[in-house]
Amino acid sequence: MDIAPTAYDTDLLRRYDVPGPRYTSYPTAPHFHGDFGEREFREAATASNGDPIPRRLSLYVHVPFCESPCFYCGCNRIITRDKARGEAYLARLFREIDLVSQLFDRDRELIQLHFGGGTPNFLSPAQLREVVDTVRGHFRFGDARELDLSIELDPRCVTPADIGVLAEIGFNRASLGVQDFNPDVQQAVNRVQSVEETRAVIEACRANGFRSVNVDLIYGLPKQTPEGFATTLDIVADMRPDRVAVYGYAHMPNLFRAQNQVVAADLPDPEGKLALLQLAIRKLTDAGYVYIGMDHFALPDDELAASQARGGLHRNFMGYTTHADSDLIGVGVSAISHVGDTFSQNPRDLASWQAALDEGRLPTFRGMRLSEDDQLRADLIQQLMCHGCVPIDALERRYDIDFRDYFADALRKLAPMERDGLVRVERHRILATPRGRLLLRNIAMCFDRYLSTPNPVATPRFSRAI
Amino acid sequence: MNKPDANQVAFPRTNAKVLADDGDPLRFCSTCAFSQACLDQGMDKRALMDLHVLVEHVGPFHAGEHVFREGDPFDAIAAVRAGTVKTYVVDRDGREHVLGFHLPGEVIGLDAIDGEHYPCNAVALDTVMLCRFSFPKIAVLAAQVPGLQRQLFRLLSRDIGRAALLAGDWSADQRLAAFLIGLSRRLAARGFSPNRFQLTMPRTDIANYLRLAPETVSRVLRRFQHEGLVHVDRRELEVTDRRGLEALAAPILRT
Repeated sequence: MDIAPTAYDTDLLRRYDVPGPRYTSYPTAPHFHGDFGEREFREAATASNGDPIPRRLSLYVHVPFCESPCFYCGCNRIITRDKARGEAYLARLFREIDLVSQLFDRDRELIQLHFGGGTPNFLSPAQLREVVDTVRGHFRFGDARELDLSIELDPRCVTPADIGVLAEIGFNRASLGVQDFNPDVQQAVNRVQSVEETRAVIEACRANGFRSVNVDLIYGLPKQTPEGFATTLDIVADMRPDRVAVYGYAHMPNLFRAQNQVVAADLPDPEGKLALLQLAIRKLTDAGYVYIGMDHFALPDDELAASQARGGLHRNFMGYTTHADSDLIGVGVSAISHVGDTFSQNPRDLASWQAALDEGRLPTFRGMRLSEDDQLRADLIQQLMCHGCVPIDALERRYDIDFRDYFADALRKLAPMERDGLVRVERHRILATPRGRLLLRNIAMCFDRYLSTPNPVATPRFSRAI
Repeated sequence: MNKPDANQVAFPRTNAKVLADDGDPLRFCSTCAFSQACLDQGMDKRALMDLHVLVEHVGPFHAGEHVFREGDPFDAIAAVRAGTVKTYVVDRDGREHVLGFHLPGEVIGLDAIDGEHYPCNAVALDTVMLCRFSFPKIAVLAAQVPGLQRQLFRLLSRDIGRAALLAGDWSADQRLAAFLIGLSRRLAARGFSPNRFQLTMPRTDIANYLRLAPETVSRVLRRFQHEGLVHVDRRELEVTDRRGLEALAAPILRT
């Protein structure tokens, strides 16, 4: 599929470069509220056990620590080199795993266990083993061939020998932060990482039988040039990771303190940023990668690409996944759970999270129960993000609606996008064109009820679409 | 989707405004379990009132709220207008035994008619609306309305009956199939879609009612789904091969 934008598209893409959510969830986290707490989370878990065929489980473990601050980062993290903090954190984490596991019936299989951060490998391989063992002691693991045990790795603080231990623990997927190999860019974002150490980690993952290795890149970073980024893309394509994610840098220093260290004058202008995105798409597709959607690419034989072709792709807080809807449990500071028709989140500050667990409480501090309308729109946006398509018939049947009537407003908003050749509104489906697939967020935004009734706190929090 | 199904409402109704299809001070609700028996006797609601039968709409009861508890003094039977009511008893060891699930148009409290107290607990599984018939003495009423007693017995026997389900040496597959077909028929009798409905009861209750382990309920349903008999999405159930499911249930239902 040819998705590399032409010159004509440059104007188009600039017009659509508006702030918008990334839709790892719908409704998005800013709409969670304090009326939803521990009690509501417990009720949601009990109700989920009551389904005639309860969903399988995914567990997300958040490790908030990083040894040094990358200036672009918008994640919830704590900068420290004090390894003792990891121990103290684990003590609470184990308590949380124990508390939360009691809410779910034991015959519900765990099929996905993901470590994110921060830097999960701030924890030593021995500590990670302890966490996995604890999870194993509290949940029933699914068939090893089906279980995804994945971890985000900072290649600067993991050795090939560590990878061997991780494989032994059962890890079978890794995601490596790279962003850009250009030395000037690396200086500007305070993340100096060599090609050699990165390559060594990827090769160790492969040698140890990891099923899939992902590399994260970022475009729009300070001092980034098309020439420099082209070199990075060539190096990455040559390393041949199974998946590549290319995220747009969102400069929002008011929200993310670390970004104050970024010199705004060093940032590429919108046109330059767009050129970087186009470059990434062209280089990666030329190298044989399939465009999955949003910011994700995969080799054609990777499960993600195969699963998309079958129509079995899903998206959750951990990004794209091949697993059908599971109930997602998040543990650790700031972690988000998605159980049944609810979202819930742990406190974003370490002190509140610890305090709750020290009192023997589950630390849920906010969340929401999805209305029928929320569920319908979440389903629609999920389909759009994963398959570039809105299946009108299926949604009408599933939710007992007249699509054109129910979404009259959304369809009106979509009309200019259809004129711009981004979508085709057909009788039985709405299809994102190859060009429109770069702008899935914008298409999804037409269906986002919370954007037409703006939440004053929520709206300015989104990064730009490109 | 089956065409004849298209205009039928899937159980339960979710629009709060039309949770139940209500009548008015003189006319019975369309789901009324008794209207036919009474009307056959030439009695409308006003005539019932003259007999000191108090007919009143009560609810909503929310999920988990009890309608009555075992041992409460018996003063009324109630017809379900919307939602699902579970009846159960707790044995001396504290174990719960589910006696039945009561759908719109069905009556709870009938088993109390002989005694002074309710012999079981009744709890709402979702948003439940009831029609309460309180009366000083059932005998007085039954004497005045001969058809009523027959109607009461008919209501008692409409449910496939836990006894039938548990009496035979039925397999888990047969029990579950009979349970689903039973639900489907009862819903259809009240004008709901027979092939698309929600399992409003949690799987532990289904398991308890069928005397199966909860894991078994899920395992059998997963296999039914794999074999194309049903499609399950969360609590929503769609019967996709009715003949297949009926065939499995036939030995228990004997129809």
